[in-house]
Amino acid sequence: MRPPITPIPPRKSQYGIDPSLVKTRVSELPGMTSVLLKELFPDLPEVIYPGEEGVAAVRKATEAALQKIDMSKIKPEHSVNILASHHGFTLLGGEPYAEMLKTLKDVIEARTGCKNIRLRAGVGLRFRETEEYIKRYGLDKHFGGKAIGVAPIDQGIPIETEIGTLYGIRKIYDADWIVHAHNSDVREVHFHRQVDRAVKPFGMSYARIETRSTYHQNLGPRAANFTARAIFDSPFVQGKFAFASFLTVAPNGIIGVDADNDLYALNDRVTQIGCRYYGKMMTLFGEIDECIAALDFPCPVVYVFSAGVIYANFAGANTDLYDLDLPLPAYTWYTEAFYGKAGKPLLKDIPPLNPAIKMCVHNYAWTGYPSAFFSEHIPTVVVGQEQADLFNRDPQNLTYMKHAVVAETTEAAMEFAYKTTGTRKVLIFDGAMGGINVSEPLAELLLKKAPAVSERVESELLPKWLRQRGVDR
Amino acid sequence: MKVVNLLAAVAAEKCRGCKTCEKVCPVLAIKVVNRKAVVDAERCRGCAACEQRCPDYAITMVKREEPVVVKVDVSAVDYARVEDLCRRARLNPEQIICYCTATRAEEVAAAILQGARSPEEVSFLTGARTGCKVECIQPILRLLEAAGIKPEPPRDGWQWYGRTVTVWEIPEGVKHKYATRGFYFDEDIKLLDRVVAAPVQGRRDS
Ligand code: SF4
Ligand code: SF4
Repeated sequence: MRPPITPIPPRKSQYGIDPSLVKTRVSELPGMTSVLLKELFPDLPEVIYPGEEGVAAVRKATEAALQKIDMSKIKPEHSVNILASHHGFTLLGGEPYAEMLKTLKDVIEARTGCKNIRLRAGVGLRFRETEEYIKRYGLDKHFGGKAIGVAPIDQGIPIETEIGTLYGIRKIYDADWIVHAHNSDVREVHFHRQVDRAVKPFGMSYARIETRSTYHQNLGPRAANFTARAIFDSPFVQGKFAFASFLTVAPNGIIGVDADNDLYALNDRVTQIGCRYYGKMMTLFGEIDECIAALDFPCPVVYVFSAGVIYANFAGANTDLYDLDLPLPAYTWYTEAFYGKAGKPLLKDIPPLNPAIKMCVHNYAWTGYPSAFFSEHIPTVVVGQEQADLFNRDPQNLTYMKHAVVAETTEAAMEFAYKTTGTRKVLIFDGAMGGINVSEPLAELLLKKAPAVSERVESELLPKWLRQRGVDR
Repeated sequence: MKVVNLLAAVAAEKCRGCKTCEKVCPVLAIKVVNRKAVVDAERCRGCAACEQRCPDYAITMVKREEPVVVKVDVSAVDYARVEDLCRRARLNPEQIICYCTATRAEEVAAAILQGARSPEEVSFLTGARTGCKVECIQPILRLLEAAGIKPEPPRDGWQWYGRTVTVWEIPEGVKHKYATRGFYFDEDIKLLDRVVAAPVQGRRDS
């Protein structure tokens, strides 16, 4: 068996415990191994990062992708907002995304003579998260001080759309032109269901609370992402949109950079990648019969990664997240909302959280996302009193610890989990690049199941998923 | 229901009186007086919106000596009226509308039936929208509207701008236009209608 892959190190952030408190990573414990994703699915694409060239490969790929972009609308006297989002900075350590953003600025400036190029970086529910990344990756310097984080409670701007007025963040749109700088990683499949993934930030990280609440409360689980399309298609946004540049990502790494003046053309390519590669990983994770989920990544509980799959999606891996015939995944906010006071779903056909997760060992994950639903429904052990205290101080997680227990060390937490669940299968969400850190019995199971999963996705599921999204032609 | 265990504290020497905090506070608990922000400790619901947006990092969240339990007593109003208001807003009374505080529609409805007339008052009384501050504005506005109340956004504030479309209001032409692109409007209407009509589970003490 292969040794474990070095996980992404803890990060200093106001949303997580101090890195010095993360004494042990779950992958360092006895019995842990790793599986390369290419071993599971040999057809996964070749990656440019991680690789020998480091982030230079991303710069090169961005420059190449931008060659076909028409920038003629941008004049030297104009202003340009490069729009970024927090999630990109959590991919493979964050440097690749930061490098794409820097390259974008350099190329736009060189090609158009425009000097007034700003970075506007949107967030999820941690309003200062991109502010932290801007400093960490030197983006403030690179953009000559014109790099800021923006939040959904900042001043808004009404946007007239085909479905009425929606609201964007004023500072996102305060330039002559906007450049949509994003990534194709699937992340929250439970929310967007791989429908218009590439457009989503217009309804989310670039949007005000009214819009985001429309998405999560007014439209329903499979109509939600229409908010993004409605905003993007509005005359106001169309009048400012210059082009999009995406880091294209597969579960095993960065596969390239894709840029287009036509966001929907890019979106269709992103849909293909998302369904094919991530769809296989998720379907494989759905085959896991029992396991301990270990969270060990600098991100909120829901977003910790393993092979490109976030914990929130593993918690719903007992259903097919890509199948739009299924209205509600086991976890999404609509599902969470539909649990009544007796702690049971209001409708009988709402699936339970993935019953394969016998216990969650929360070794290291951040606050800043409402996560009590997980500790309420999945037995959860949090490592370290400091981490427990941090959750108790988070307005979004005041009841997370009400349902979780605390262990002093990682070792003690895992021992407890082994003893009480009786399983030795462990899936570690630690952002390992190119592979997954798992326990040996789980490695065996995944390697055994992968070929049949691959076959089923190719022949049966993928054609259906693409057809449902209108990209099968 | 929310147990408020934090309180915003302003470091006056860092405050430059920009009023950002005032514009984002969901319960109007912080105001600039003589060019310095002042927190009304009784009103503050510990949401950290001000702390997270102050451009001068002048605010910290401190632990309250005595946590404050914020809760509207649903049993103080006739439950039939609560149910009726929720269902008119197309919400199940037991549906969670604020994920951070697990506030259910019935508690917001009860707050409105007991006199709350704006999202700010609803948040002050129930604690809803004092967690992430993002996701729950629409159901609050829908419940107010269903009760015949037309609140005005706080003057010069950024707290909220307006109610937006629900899936029931999507124009047929729009549905038709995007029918092949994976947006399941009519199917989601069916699902949400079933949720709205689902019987309550009935443990009223939550
Ligand atoms: S946001 Fe900060 S600087 Fe501005 S008024 Fe409030 S406390 Fe003062
Ligand atoms: S309620 Fe929130 S925004 Fe208002 S003063 Fe308290 S912490 Fe600040």
